[in-house]
Amino acid sequence: MRKFIILIFFSQCIYNTVIAQQNTVLKLVHKVGNQPLTLYTEVYKNQWNEPFTVNKFSYYMAHLQIVYDNGKKTYTYHKPYHLVVENDSTTKTLMLQKELKNITAIKFLIGVDSVQNTSGVQTDDLDPMKGMFWTWNTGYIYAKLEGQSDSSKAPAHYFSYHIGGYKYVENAARKIELAVSSNAQNAIEEIIIEADILKWFYGTNEIKIIQEPICHQPGKLALAIADNYKNMFQVTAIK
Amino acid sequence: MKIYKVIFSLLCIVFVGISFINIKKHKPTPLKFIVPKGWPKPLYNFKQNPLTIEGFELGKKLFYDERLSKDSTISCASCHQQFSAFANYDHNFSHGYNNSFTTRNSPALQNLAWQKEFMWDGGVNHLDVQPISPITAKNEMAETLENVIKKIKRDTAYQRMFKAAFGDETINTQRMGKALSQFMLMLVSSNSKYDKVMRGEDTFNLPEKLGYQIFQQKCVSCHTEPFFTDFSFRNIGMPLDATLNDIGRMRITNNNTDSLKFKVPSLRNVNITFPYGHDGRFFALSNLFEHYRKNMQPIATTDVLLKNKMPLSNFQIGQLTAFLYTLTDSSFITNKMFAAPAYTKPIILHQH
Repeated sequence: MRKFIILIFFSQCIYNTVIAQQNTVLKLVHKVGNQPLTLYTEVYKNQWNEPFTVNKFSYYMAHLQIVYDNGKKTYTYHKPYHLVVENDSTTKTLMLQKELKNITAIKFLIGVDSVQNTSGVQTDDLDPMKGMFWTWNTGYIYAKLEGQSDSSKAPAHYFSYHIGGYKYVENAARKIELAVSSNAQNAIEEIIIEADILKWFYGTNEIKIIQEPICHQPGKLALAIADNYKNMFQVTAIK
Repeated sequence: MKIYKVIFSLLCIVFVGISFINIKKHKPTPLKFIVPKGWPKPLYNFKQNPLTIEGFELGKKLFYDERLSKDSTISCASCHQQFSAFANYDHNFSHGYNNSFTTRNSPALQNLAWQKEFMWDGGVNHLDVQPISPITAKNEMAETLENVIKKIKRDTAYQRMFKAAFGDETINTQRMGKALSQFMLMLVSSNSKYDKVMRGEDTFNLPEKLGYQIFQQKCVSCHTEPFFTDFSFRNIGMPLDATLNDIGRMRITNNNTDSLKFKVPSLRNVNITFPYGHDGRFFALSNLFEHYRKNMQPIATTDVLLKNKMPLSNFQIGQLTAFLYTLTDSSFITNKMFAAPAYTKPIILHQH
């Protein structure tokens, strides 16, 4: 352990003094349709004309990989599990520790592998302290969307979607693969991925707040919503 | 600019030097987990959490620490009392934060290393994550993990004990869970009169012997030896309590066929773990026997073994009761190793 720390320390020294190169940055931008996401105050409308506000939006971006050099190489992000939280801007900028060129695809998982769901308490972004964890029915919440809507009949007109589930028939983890076409030959400074919250409500399944204001457990509804939001991501800029 | 680089490089060298000076290998003392003779292999993965005396002592301190609750009034041990085989003595429901009630009966904590799923509905899949549930439940300890870790981190005794148990000062949810598991895993009850008889160290008296024979005919298919449970989930014809609306296992599996199924509880230490049933509705063994022979209301999901209830004569009930009393393990409930740590004693009690 100590040797390892020393090694890291040294490599950091060398890194800081000698290399100091430009790395690619991946930015996540959250939107509702065409509008930028503003928590609490902004009222949006979904596909079914239901007005709603957003109070919470977060998800696990896992096993992030970027295929570059025209498909010849794959870069793997150093954190296997990265928790993205709307009101914590630091979680929405991922410093990739490499300069990437000719990116052809971005792959990740929205979810947590079953091993981490079944092998006790995890650390870092998977620490149950982060609030993305069911205590009564062990397992991670992969994605969370909460807000208020006049269409909701739940207390305080709240709607709350906590999506998770790792067991075979309830597995809500979704693999995302975004194809990228970029002609830029230069090293890429910035990749922007947009996530559109409206996609939670339609696509594969119709999700209406009036009918389903709450999803707090694994099962059919969670799977239906996961099948919708797996299409929410889009690469909008490569600079 | 150049001068900064020089200073920085020098600092690097100094730090590396310091890290070598500090080398003093720390090693916690291993604690042996003894599998009672004839028992199967434990299910808990000890490789991921090797038992040590330091880890066990830390787990014990956490288990008995009221600061794990929101207002520092409730510890794990408040509802898991040693004299009741770590169940909540004489309580159908336990008392949570701010005059609240739990909705289920606090189970005895014993032989947990052999248990695959926890809670009456089996919703918790690993012993290390189990404590998070009562710590954060609004009607139990009602605290956030963030606050618990914050409180623990401030305590210098904990700082020392986490370092002693895990090698460095890091205090996090994972280590807290592992330490609590180390304490709970050691709670093995295998020294009741029944066990002594099985080992040939003692003999049953006549009622106990007859009771054991009746037990073999009527009870053992679910309350299987040596744990006196087969860890399955079954509906024993307890009608739904409308104030609780507890559907049991179905809440976890979303499967209609699991409606009103609950985990078969172990009968070890049964005499001192009353009341009985997932909601503690049976205040005495006699209530349970009346349930089995008369009061139960079988429905579609009720266990096939109980479709015609369970005929029991008064005589059989008497003998069964005598046998069940032999499952009380007095050495377990008085073992000082599991008692609350005293403030005056050294932190590591058994260090050589």
